[in-house]
Amino acid sequence: MSIGSSPVVKDNISVALIEAGDLNKIQDWSMPTGSFSNRASSLTNASQDFLKRSGSWNHVDEQRTCGIEEMQVWDGVSDARITFTAEDLGAEAARNGMSRMTENLNLQRGLLRQLAQLPQVQLLQKTKVQSITRDSDDKQNWPLVYLDNGRVLRSRLLVGADGFNSPVRQFAGVSSYGWSYDTQAIVATLEHHARGAFEGPNTTAYQRFLPTGPIAFLPFSSTASSLVWSTRPHIAKALLACDPAVFSTMINAAFRLPAFSMRYLYDRILESQAAGQTITPAELQAEIMFREQAHGIEHLSTYSSLIRQAPPAGIGSPDSQSIPPLVTGLQPNTAASFPLRFNHAEVYIGEGKASRTVLVGDAAHTVHPLAGQGLNMGLSDVECLTRTVEQAVLHGGDIGSYTALLPYAQERYLANHVLMSAVDKLHKLYTTKLEPVVWARSVGLEVINELDSCEGGDHDVCWSPADHAGLTWLELCSQRRAEYICSG
Amino acid sequence: MYSTSRRALTRFSAQLRQRRAIRTSATSATVNDAEISHFSRLSSEWWDEGGEFSFLHRMNPVRVKFIQDKLVEVARDEAADGGESIQEGSVLRGLNVLDVGCGGGLLSESLARLGAKTVGIDASGSNIAIASLHASADPSFRLTSSSLPSASQPSTTAQNSLTYLHTTTDALLSPEPLPDSPLPPSIPRQFDVVTALEVLEHVSNPSHFLDTCASLVKPGGHLFISTMARTPLAYGLTILFAEHISGKVTKGTHTWSKYVNPEELVDFFKTYPTTETSPGRRWIEPSANSYIPRHQAEVKGLIYNPLKGAWHLGPRNSIAAAQCNYIFW
Repeated sequence: MSIGSSPVVKDNISVALIEAGDLNKIQDWSMPTGSFSNRASSLTNASQDFLKRSGSWNHVDEQRTCGIEEMQVWDGVSDARITFTAEDLGAEAARNGMSRMTENLNLQRGLLRQLAQLPQVQLLQKTKVQSITRDSDDKQNWPLVYLDNGRVLRSRLLVGADGFNSPVRQFAGVSSYGWSYDTQAIVATLEHHARGAFEGPNTTAYQRFLPTGPIAFLPFSSTASSLVWSTRPHIAKALLACDPAVFSTMINAAFRLPAFSMRYLYDRILESQAAGQTITPAELQAEIMFREQAHGIEHLSTYSSLIRQAPPAGIGSPDSQSIPPLVTGLQPNTAASFPLRFNHAEVYIGEGKASRTVLVGDAAHTVHPLAGQGLNMGLSDVECLTRTVEQAVLHGGDIGSYTALLPYAQERYLANHVLMSAVDKLHKLYTTKLEPVVWARSVGLEVINELDSCEGGDHDVCWSPADHAGLTWLELCSQRRAEYICSG
Repeated sequence: MYSTSRRALTRFSAQLRQRRAIRTSATSATVNDAEISHFSRLSSEWWDEGGEFSFLHRMNPVRVKFIQDKLVEVARDEAADGGESIQEGSVLRGLNVLDVGCGGGLLSESLARLGAKTVGIDASGSNIAIASLHASADPSFRLTSSSLPSASQPSTTAQNSLTYLHTTTDALLSPEPLPDSPLPPSIPRQFDVVTALEVLEHVSNPSHFLDTCASLVKPGGHLFISTMARTPLAYGLTILFAEHISGKVTKGTHTWSKYVNPEELVDFFKTYPTTETSPGRRWIEPSANSYIPRHQAEVKGLIYNPLKGAWHLGPRNSIAAAQCNYIFW
C-alpha cells in the first residue's frame, strides 16, 4: 500500500495485495469506547511519521490511541529502576508522547480505508495462495502465483509480508536462523480505576523484569490498559485457565510482590491445576496476605496486591506512580497467549531461482516483545522498501532485479540484526537469577538512571527530537551513557 | 607501462589528425573482430547480476541518473518559463535515443522504461539476440528486434518502444540500408540522445567512431560517452585487480592501450567538427586553458565503493575523480 501511494510509482506499477482472510470484517471493525482489543502495538514517532506521509494515519481513530509520556522499567529481583519522560526527548515528543499505543485493528482499518482510495492497488481478499512456482520457459524468473480462485498472477516483484510462516519465504528457499524462547506472551485488556486526583494521567508504561519474563502494562485510557506478560508456557497456560479475579490478582502481584514470593504463588496455582481444580480467589487472597505479611507490606499500601473495589481517594503515597494502578478486572474475551521466538531470515532478497522476491516484517524477522519493536521494525522495512522501489522506478530500473533491491537489504539487514540482538541479550540478561549478574545489571541500570538527573542540569540537552523519534527505551539508555562519556 | 602509454598517445594523436575515412565499405572501421568475438562468447552472462557484468549492472542506475539530470539541466536552461515542470522522471519521454554498443541491453531497457523511443545497436549478433530475448519477457517495452520474426513487431514510434539492431554506426549513417541488415524505415536518421557507454575502449578507430556518433546526434541533441582513463590507476583496478587478481571479469575484456583520457576526449571535441569539412563553431569552445564551459560539456568521474558495492559520481569536471572510469557529456 505504501508503494501504491507513492507519487513516483503509482502511475508506473500496478500492485496486487492478496489476503487470505476477510478484510471486510476489519474494515467494518468497531468497538465501544472504553473497550479495547487485546492486540496492540506501541508505534514510535518514526513509524507514525511514515504512516502520516503515506496518508494512512488520517484514517486511524486517534481517540482510541494513547500517547505514552513516561516509562518506568524496573528489575523484579533487585528493584533497580530506570525512568524516562517524554520531555527528555524534546518538544515534539513532549507534545505527541514517546510512542503511541494503537490497537492493531485500529491501524489495519485505517490502512484499508487508505487502500480503498488507491485505484492502482488491487485488493484480493478471501483468496488463498495455492502455490508459487516458476515458469520453466521463463529465463527472467518471473514468479507465478496461483490463487485458489483459479487466477494466476505473474509478478515482477513478489513481496513477502506474510508473517512468520511466510509462503513467499518458503518459495524463495530462504532459510532462517533462530530459536524458540520457551516463553508464551499473555495479552489481555485490563480494567482498573482511574488514577487519583493527585496522581498524573494514565499515560505511563510500566515494565517489570521477573525471572520468568517481563510483564508490561501499557495504557490505553484512564481506565483501560493493555497487558503483555511473557512467562513460562506452563505458567501461562495455568494463568489463562484461572478465574478472571484470580488472574487480575496475579497481575497485581506480579507488579508488586517480590519475585521470590511470586514463585510460591505460581506453585499454588499449578498445584491446584494438577489436582484438577482451579484455585479460588479466596485461596489466592489468603496466600497473598500471608506473603505480604512476611514481607511487611501493609494491607492498604500501594504495594498490596489485593483487589480493592473502591477507587483510590485522597493523596496517594509518594511512590504510587512508580507502579501501575491496581487492576480490578479483565475485559471479557481478551485474554490470549502466543509463543515467542527469535527468528531472522538469512537474506531478505531471493537470488537465482528465487529472484524477484523480497521479505519484509515478520516474514523476515521476529523478536521478543519486551521493547515493543516488532511492528516498528516491520514499518521501517516497508518504508525503506518503498524508497528503494521509488528510486529504481525513477531511474528506469527493473524493480525485481537484485541490483534494484540491494539497497533495501543493505540498509535494513544490519539495523534489524543489531536491534534484535540487543533485545535478545536483554532478555537473557534479565531471566537469570545469578547473584553477580543481578548485581551488575542493577548497578548498571541505576547508574544510567542517575546520569540523567545529575547531568541534565549541567548542559543543554543537545539532541534534536527528530533524531530520537524512533528510540526505544534501551536505546535511550545507551544514549545517556554516551552523553556522560562525551561530557565527562 | 609508460612506454606503451606514450606509444598509445602518439597513435591516438595521429588518429586525431587523420582525415575522416571515406564511407565505402566502412563496416569494419569502427568494429574490431577480436572484441566482437570476445563479447559474443560472454553474451549469456549479460543478465547474470552477480557474474561477469556485475560492475556494469551496479553502474547502470548511476549513469541513467546522470543522463536524466543532464537532460533536465539543459531543458531547464532552454525553457522559456524556467522549466519548473521538467522532472527527471519524465524528461526522457518521447525522445529518440540511440544506444551504441548496447551489449545485453542494460542501458537500453532502462531508457525505454523511462519512456524513450530507444534504438539499441551492437556489432555482435549474439549480444542483440540476448538483449532481445531478455526484453521480450518484460511487458514494459514494445520490442522490435532484427533477431526476432518481423511479424510480431509493433510500431517503433510508440513510447517505451525498444528496437534492437545488429548493425554499426557506419551502417546507420550510410544512405542506403545494407542488404544483410535491413533497417526499418521508421528509424530516425538523427537522434535526440546518443549514448556510447563503455564502448570507446573497445573500438579500433576511436576518432572515426566518435565522428560517427557525433553525426548521429540531432542539432541540439546530446552525446554521452563513458570509458576509462589510460592511467596506472585504471590499469591497476580494471585489469590487474578485476581480471587477474579477483577474476571477476574475464581476462582480455579490457586492453589498457585503448583507454581514452578525459582530456583527449575534450580536445577531440574542441577541434570537432574539423575545419576542413565545415567552418564554424566547434562542439566545445577551444579556449586556451582547460576550462570546460558548463553548457557545452561535462566530465564526471565514476567511483566504485567496494564496501557498498555501488558507484558514485565525482564532482563536475574534476579530472582527479576521473582517473579510472568516467562519463562525458
